[in-house]
Parts: sequence; C-alpha cells; structure tokens
Amino acid sequence: MKGTYLGEFEELILLTVAANEQDAYAVIVKKEAEAIAQRKINISAVHSSLYRLERKGFLSSTLGGSTPKRGGKQKRIFTVTNAGFEALKASKAIKERLWKKIPRLSIVDV
Amino acid sequence: MSDSPKTGPKNGPPTFGTQLLQWIYGVEFFDEIHGDFLELFEENLANKGRFQARWHYVKDALFSLRNLRIKRYPSLPYFNQFAMFENYFKITLRNIAKNKVYSVLNILGLALGIAACIFILQYVSYERSYDTFHAHYEDLYRIQYKVYRGNELNIDCAAAVPRVGPFMKEKMPEVREFARAFPTSGVISFEDQKFREERIHIVDPSFLKIFTFPLVSGDLETALTEPYTVVISESTARKYFGNQDPIGKMLQMDGEESMAVTAVAKDVPDNSHIKFDLLISYETLNNNTRNEDGESGSETSWGWYDFNSYVLLEPGTDTEDYDARFAEVLYDERGEAFEKYNFRDEFPLQAIGDIHLYSNLLQESEPEEQGDGQAVFFLTLIALFILLIAWINYINLSTARSIERAKEVGVRKTMGAFRKQLISQFLAESFVLNFFAILFALLIVVGGIRFFNQLTDSSLSLAFLSDPFFWLFFIGVFVIGSLIAGLYPAFVLSGFKPVSVLKGERSTGKFGNQLRRGLVIFQFAASVTLIAGTLIVYQQLRHMKTLDLGFDMTETLVVKGPQVFEVDSLFGPALKAFQTELRSVSEVDDMAYSSNVPGVEIFWTNGIRRSDAGQDQMKVTYIVGVDYAYFPSYNISFVAGRNYDPSFSTDEKAMILNEAAARFLGFESAEAALNKQVFFWGEDRTIIGIVDNYNQMSVKSEVAPIVFPLSLTGASYFTVKLKNGNFQEAFDQVEEKYASFFPGNPFDYFFLDDFYNRQYNNEQKFSRVFTLFAAFAIFVACLGLFGLSSFSALKRTKEIGIRKVLGADSRQIIFLLSREFLILVLLGNLFALPVAYLIMNNWLDSFSSRIQIQLPVFLIAGIAVLLIAILTVSYRTLKVAQSNPVLALRSE
Repeated sequence: MKGTYLGEFEELILLTVAANEQDAYAVIVKKEAEAIAQRKINISAVHSSLYRLERKGFLSSTLGGSTPKRGGKQKRIFTVTNAGFEALKASKAIKERLWKKIPRLSIVDV
Repeated sequence: MSDSPKTGPKNGPPTFGTQLLQWIYGVEFFDEIHGDFLELFEENLANKGRFQARWHYVKDALFSLRNLRIKRYPSLPYFNQFAMFENYFKITLRNIAKNKVYSVLNILGLALGIAACIFILQYVSYERSYDTFHAHYEDLYRIQYKVYRGNELNIDCAAAVPRVGPFMKEKMPEVREFARAFPTSGVISFEDQKFREERIHIVDPSFLKIFTFPLVSGDLETALTEPYTVVISESTARKYFGNQDPIGKMLQMDGEESMAVTAVAKDVPDNSHIKFDLLISYETLNNNTRNEDGESGSETSWGWYDFNSYVLLEPGTDTEDYDARFAEVLYDERGEAFEKYNFRDEFPLQAIGDIHLYSNLLQESEPEEQGDGQAVFFLTLIALFILLIAWINYINLSTARSIERAKEVGVRKTMGAFRKQLISQFLAESFVLNFFAILFALLIVVGGIRFFNQLTDSSLSLAFLSDPFFWLFFIGVFVIGSLIAGLYPAFVLSGFKPVSVLKGERSTGKFGNQLRRGLVIFQFAASVTLIAGTLIVYQQLRHMKTLDLGFDMTETLVVKGPQVFEVDSLFGPALKAFQTELRSVSEVDDMAYSSNVPGVEIFWTNGIRRSDAGQDQMKVTYIVGVDYAYFPSYNISFVAGRNYDPSFSTDEKAMILNEAAARFLGFESAEAALNKQVFFWGEDRTIIGIVDNYNQMSVKSEVAPIVFPLSLTGASYFTVKLKNGNFQEAFDQVEEKYASFFPGNPFDYFFLDDFYNRQYNNEQKFSRVFTLFAAFAIFVACLGLFGLSSFSALKRTKEIGIRKVLGADSRQIIFLLSREFLILVLLGNLFALPVAYLIMNNWLDSFSSRIQIQLPVFLIAGIAVLLIAILTVSYRTLKVAQSNPVLALRSE
C-alpha cells in the first residue's frame, strides 16, 4: 500500500491529533507536539502533514468556529479516522515486534 | 474581510507575508491557514513583542513555500480548471444558441473579414513573390539604360545596349556573371507544325546559370554555347514534338534558320518578370550581325538598346556606390563620345525583385503584367481595415449585449466569482467565437478562391494551405483577434457591480457608449472612403477608355504581317497587291500596312536632327513606318500639312512627324516645322505633315515623339478597317486571302479596341478587387450596425411602449431610433471626405490624363452608405415601432 505508511513526523502529528481532547487544529497540534516531543516545529510543516494525512484518509476535517484572535477566520478541525487508528496500531505493532527481538544482553539499557 | 481591530497597519502582520500566503495557498486554503497564522502572530505579539512576531510571521510564510503543491483530495482537485472551462464552453454555446441572430452576425462578420484579409494578403504576397524563386535573387540586378541630352532625360529604358554587360564584367570586380536577353518573335516550324512564337529570347549561355530556370534534360554547360542552338520550355516541347525526345531535333525560324534543340527547361513560373518559350543561343545573333571585319554589332554596340542585361553581383554589394564607381569607369571609356555628341549614358542597377512592382520603364519584358506597388500597398491597407472593422464589430456587439449578460455576471459574482475568472470566461468565449469564425473563414477561402480568381483575373492557388507561414499568420489572427475582440468586453462585463446589476440598474457606462460610437464612426468612415475610392477608380478607367485618343480603333482588325517570305525583293510588290486585293472585298473599308499599330510598344528608334542644327543636336525618336493609307484608316488628323501622296514621287524622301516630335526637335509650333528639313537615315528629308498627338500607347503615359517615314517595302502589321455589317464574312475573306498571299504564315490577328484596352488590364483588375472589398467592408459594417440598432431598440422597448401609449406614431419612433445611428454615419462621412480625397488624388496623379475629383462622388458614396445604413437600422426599428405597446409595457 504505497503512500499509506507513516513517516516519523506524520506519526507524531497523527498521534497528537488522536491524543488531543480539544478541537485539534493546526496551532493546537503544533503546541502539543512541541510540548510532548520537546522540539521546535514550524507551523508550515504541521499544515503540510495535516493535509497530507487527510489526503491519505487518516484524518478527516470540518470547519469549526472562529475567534477574533484569528481575524474572524474559521479553524479546520481534524479528527482521526478509523483508517488512521489502524495505521497507528500497525505502526505500533511493528515497533513492538522489533523491540521483542532485541537481545536481552544488549548493552543498551532497556 | 477585515482583520481584527487590534491589528492596525503598523501593528499588524507584514503584508508581504500575507500576500505570500495568499499566493501559496490560493483561495482554497488561504482562509483557514491565515487564521492559524494570525493566531500565532497574536500570541507572539503578546509574548515576544512586535518585532519577533512579525519576523516569525514572515519566516513561517516563507517556510510555507514547501506547501506550494498542497492538495486535499487525491484525484479530484477542488481548483477544477476542467470543470470551469467546460462550464465556460457550455455557457458560450448556450449563448450562441440563445441569440442566434447576433451570433451569426458576429461570426459571419468576423469570418468575412478574415476571409477577405486572407484573399487580399494572398494576392499581395503573390504580387510580391515575383522573381523571388531565383536562388540568387538578392544579388541579381537588371541594368537600366538612361540617356540624357544635356540635362533632359531622353530615354529611360529597361533594355540596355549589348556592350555594357561584358564591359561591366571586365571592369567591375563585384560582377560574378552577366547575361543578356534579346526579345524577339517569329514563326517557328517543325515538319508541318507551325506556330507564331512571341516569347523568344536570344540569350547568353550564362542566362540559365544566373537565373533559376532548371533544365529537365540537356546539359547546362553546353546548352547555348554553339550558334543555331535553342533551349525550349517543356510545354513548347510537347507542342512541337508530342512525346518524342526533343533533344537534337531541328526547329526552323521564319522559314530560314534551322536550330538544334539542345535542352528542355521547366516552364517559366507565372511570377517571373521575364518569360520565354524558346531561348536561342547568343552566338546565333552574333553570326547574323557580323560585319566584314568580323565584329558583331550584338557584342560591340553602345547604342542598340534592345538587350535586357542582368548581372550577378557578389553578395552584399552596395549598389549606390557601385553605380557611382561605374559611372566613372564608363566615362573613361565613353567620355569622348559623350562630349562630342552632347549626351550622356547611365546604367544604374535595378534589383530584380523590384522589377515587377516598382519599375515602369520602356521595353519592359512583360509590360502588360507590370504590377503596381502603390496599388498593392493600398490593398494591404484595405485588408487591415477590413480585419479591423470585423474586430470592431465583435467588440460593439459584445458590449451592446453586455446588458443582457449583466445579470449573469451579477449572479456569478454573488456566487463568489472573482473578476479574474469572469475575464477569463469572456476571453474564453471570444476564443470560441473566433475559432468558429476562422473555421468559417477558411471555408469561405477554399470555396471562394475560384470565384475570386475569376473576378480579379488572378491565378491564386490553394497551395498556401501547405505554407507554414500562412498557418502562423492564421493562428496569429486567431489569437490576436480573440484577445483584441475579447479584452474590452471582458473588462467591461467583469467590472459590473453585482448589487446594482441585480437590482436592475442597466448601464454600460459612458465610456462604453462613447467607444461604441467612435467605432461605428470609424467603420463608416472606412466604408465611405472605400466606396468613394471605388467610384473614382471606376471614373478614371472610363475616362481613359472614352478619352479621345486621336485615332479611331472601332471595327479595326489587325493582322500580324508575314515573317516567312521567300524572296525579300518581292515583298514590297506583294504588299501592294495584297492591299489592292483586300480593298476589293466589299466588307472591307480600307487596308493599311505599317511597322506598328497603336497599343503596340514601339521598339524601333533612330537618331534625327534638324538639318540646320549641328551634329551634337542629334536626338533619338521612335519610328513607325507607314504606307499611304495609314493615317486615313486610323482617322488621325493633321495639325499642319498633308499625308503622303502617291502622286508626288518626292514623298518617298519626305517626312511626317507627330506634334511631340516637332517640339522635341525644337520647332516652336507645328506650322513652324512644316517644310523644314530634318536629317534622318543619312539624308535630308522635308517635313510635309505634322499629325496630332494621338495616343500611341495608353493615356497612362505621355505621348512620345514619333516620326513616320514612308515605308512601302516592309510591314509588321496589316490594319483592316471593316465596314459595318457582316464581320464574319469579312474575317473569313481576309484570312483566306492572307493564306494565299503569304503561305507558310499563321494568321494572327486581334481586334484593335480589345487589344488597346488590354493596357488597362491592371487598372481594371485593381478596380474589381477594390469594388469587391469595398462591398465586403460595407457588408461587415452593416452587420455591426444591424446588431447595434437591434439592441438599442430592444433596450428601449419600454420607452417606446410608453411613447406609443402617449400618442407617438410609428414615424416618430423610427426617427427617434434611427437618429442616433444616422448621426454617427454622417459623422463617418465627414471624416472620410478628406481622407478619401487625399488618397485618391495621390493615385490619380500617376496618370498623365486624369479626372478631377468632384463633389458628387462623395455625395453618391455618402448617400449610398446612408441609405444602406437606414435600411439596416429600419429593419429592426420598424418592427419595434409597429409592435403593440401593451406587450412592451407588460414585459419584464
């Protein structure tokens, strides 16, 4: 399934949307992700990922309310679709399987 | 869509960033993403200060460049050009179908305009294509011949002297090669095949090399090197030899010389200024002109000017400089003779590509075919005019129709269409209509080319359809036309304010109205100019044809004199006997023989001077050898003196001149010249008569000085004056007698009036083309006027209804509706008057006998156009004026 795998950053964004209790729109997603991942994220990257995930069918969106802060402009609010959850689960499963294969005697502290 | 109140221009986000975002995200994403940006900006403004906030804003916008190709849905993009264009196309077709009349007017007008333009440009480019088929045509020049007596230009001739070609090659390093062509005619026979050939040239072997007249068979190097050899054209070969191989066959000329065919050349293209069926080797001529010392006049003569001489120069030679240098070289050689006889020769070069359109000299190779550069220029202008008128029509009709489209525009705008989209919609519409128009134009051209050829006596072919330049032009017209015709309506229509339009306020704006008026004025000014021009051309033609030419050419049959005759010494008596025989035919009024007849260019010249004047006063005049009956037959009147009279034996040494010659020789009047002596052909002759300046050649040129020596032993033309009555009978008799007197000669004849008027072929053709396109222009202009007036009537339906209810009658209504347009047409007339006058006056100046332009011409043209305009306008206004007012008032 070409084009449906998740990139690292995409996965981060998708997870952030999934984990969010509020209306997930670009600014919120950016802040949450920055807080959790402890890194600087540019808003344009968030936009790019959100729309790409939507195109892949992992997110769906509706137009939500506006605030005066936004110059009266509406937010696009994203929610994770079933396919999105499937993809997250699949990604997680792969990683778990790999984790299990790592030898116990590894010098890495797990 | 204003930003939040807090963000004033100073504190707000940088406009650059916003614009960038707008550009990157387009209509689809901009709003939501801009919202995110504003939110971040506000936050940053509060936390980090204005500078940081603005900086992040711009930085983030710049980073957003990565999202240039952002899309939301996998295969069906929201920004759907296809759907949009599909919609435009659909709307266009619906509009065409909805307003059939206007669409047809629009498309027809455009198509006619483009078709006319293509026709004219084809015609023009054909005229301009003369002699361009030669591989070296840019470096080929013809040597002109000019003779000055003192400061007076005496001879200005296309044919030069035989010596100048070789002399130029010897003295001028730029000359790569020269070639001479001596035109002649004669009866050519092969076994029992016998034809009179008019297109014979005696040429140097190099003729076939510097010009591109490819050989079909035979060897280019040796084809014309030997005496008594001949190269013939393909069709001539077929004519004489059918399917036999022509190489090595012997052709006889005038029953005397036999010449061997050494090569066959392709037929000369129509667009060549020099045309031949047979080329005889130059050595043949040299053999015939050799004197006792072994010198040939056709190599050494500096005075025998019948030789079309061409030189091929090194590429890039500056001809002005060349002419100046050659003048010096020539003076070194000929200066002595110049000084002694008080004359001066000049041999300027004339580019071969200029010959057809811009040369009008004596002894042109194909004088009847000579084109007119000025006429061609006018035609190009007309072509552009017609195209312009057609485009203007489109603009006019579209802006007028805009009233109807206004609502559509309003709805589209309310639904969120941007102005840009509307503009592209109307442009797309223009493209579609223009596409139909050029398609239609192409059909007209392909279907109408034969009709056009017939009407204008030209030979255009459809070959241009395979010419890439034509298609380039064609597509150019299409694109430019679509843009020009579409832009104005597009901008006007898209500029409507949706609210006012939907409320029903109808206004196309002052500017639109003015523009429309201006365009209508221009169209009709152009139409009137064309009509007036057509009338003037026609009048001038009639003037030239009906002008008193000074001789009578009605019922005159001219037979070409025999060229094959066994014994030279018996030719004189045979002529006499033939004359007596013909005079006995009851249908023949009289018969004369001469070396020339009116309408045939004189190639025979000689020196003449008054006997009391010195050797240096020698002048060259034209010669027509005549018999006793020549002047009476043609009814040429004597200004002074008398005709030759057989009862005076001294008359054989007498002389008759025309008035021009008398003045040319320096006599003050005809009477003063009478009984004076002139020195001619080595002896003194007494002038016994001076004839009226009849027009030997057409009235396009001045009457040249001609002398008429009595010549009873030779004749190139028999003039047979017929009596009213049975032409056929007379003709048969003349033919039969000719055959018995001059066996072996084809009976070649023409009727003089037809033949003489052939000189006006060019003008006639020009006037036909002019008329055709004037009609085109008017028709197209009327289409436009029709459309405009209909719309104007439609627009005022309610007003007319109210007027009728209040008691206005149809007449008043028609007047009311027509007035607006008639004023425009009248204004157009006013503008056209001076323009047409100036242009046509200029044209008329090229004739030696011209008409004066008179006011009635303009009145006729103006009134004609006005009438046509009234008819056009009234078709619709009448309908509206007679309609039931109740219906009008109830409508919408």
